[in-house]
Amino acid sequence: MNARPLMRLRFTTAPVEEIGLTPHGTLSIFPITGGSFEGERLRGTVLGGADWVTAAADGTRELDLRVTLETDDGALIHMTFTGVRDDANHYFRTLPRFETAAPKYAFLNRLLAVGVGEGHRDGPIHTIEEIL
Amino acid sequence: MNTRLLMTLRVTVAAPQNIAGVPHGTRRTVPITGGDFDGPWLRGSVLPGGSGDWLLLRADGVLELDFRATLRTDDGALISMRSFGLRHGPPEVMEALARGEAVEPAAYYFRTTPRFETSHPKYAFLNRRIAVATGDRRAEGPVYTIHELH
Repeated sequence: MNARPLMRLRFTTAPVEEIGLTPHGTLSIFPITGGSFEGERLRGTVLGGADWVTAAADGTRELDLRVTLETDDGALIHMTFTGVRDDANHYFRTLPRFETAAPKYAFLNRLLAVGVGEGHRDGPIHTIEEIL
Repeated sequence: MNTRLLMTLRVTVAAPQNIAGVPHGTRRTVPITGGDFDGPWLRGSVLPGGSGDWLLLRADGVLELDFRATLRTDDGALISMRSFGLRHGPPEVMEALARGEAVEPAAYYFRTTPRFETSHPKYAFLNRRIAVATGDRRAEGPVYTIHELH
């Protein structure tokens, strides 16, 4: 598979909201309070959002994130991802998708992407590549 | 992006059901009648019930794919597969595909992101993996080359 770098994205998070055991697993909601992103084609800040994380019985966590990004030239981008985080196997991968009305960034509407996440004390960092 | 080959999946399709204009675009449902898959760790066939591709042609000309299929391995495990995908390209290429003509896969963008669910211990690794696929839309049905993301 060929890919090319899209952005490196950092989130800052607020204290987790533990919903607890639900029919689908243990649900934790991580509010995202801000952050930043940068790549060759776009850069800016994270306005906020959250990641709905469901821990399955096998220990893996399913991620379901929604955030709004604002580029340095004022475009808003709706970003979502689903993903898998399995810390026991050092596996933290996501499938980001983007929606925007800004013509300059319309290429984001037409691509699929993959992300590699790293957990950090002050919030996760995602290295996102466009699938070519 | 570090990937390794998971499988090649070939599906056969029946005549599409044209739902046509809906609030989000033009919707078409393509029933999947069967198929097969093989890779280094698994091989088997595609079950026709509950398998299909729900297509939505968006206003910007991009085709969104919502693919679901039930796979049965040669040793009897059932695997539910779902993948979201995108297909787009130059208008002449997309028209040739619509006419069922053979088109070089590199001439258009056809990528999907499969996820798998199974209860079978031998294949449980699939539950925890993200995958990406390149598609080749042939007249008899699409062929997907699926790689798991490391």
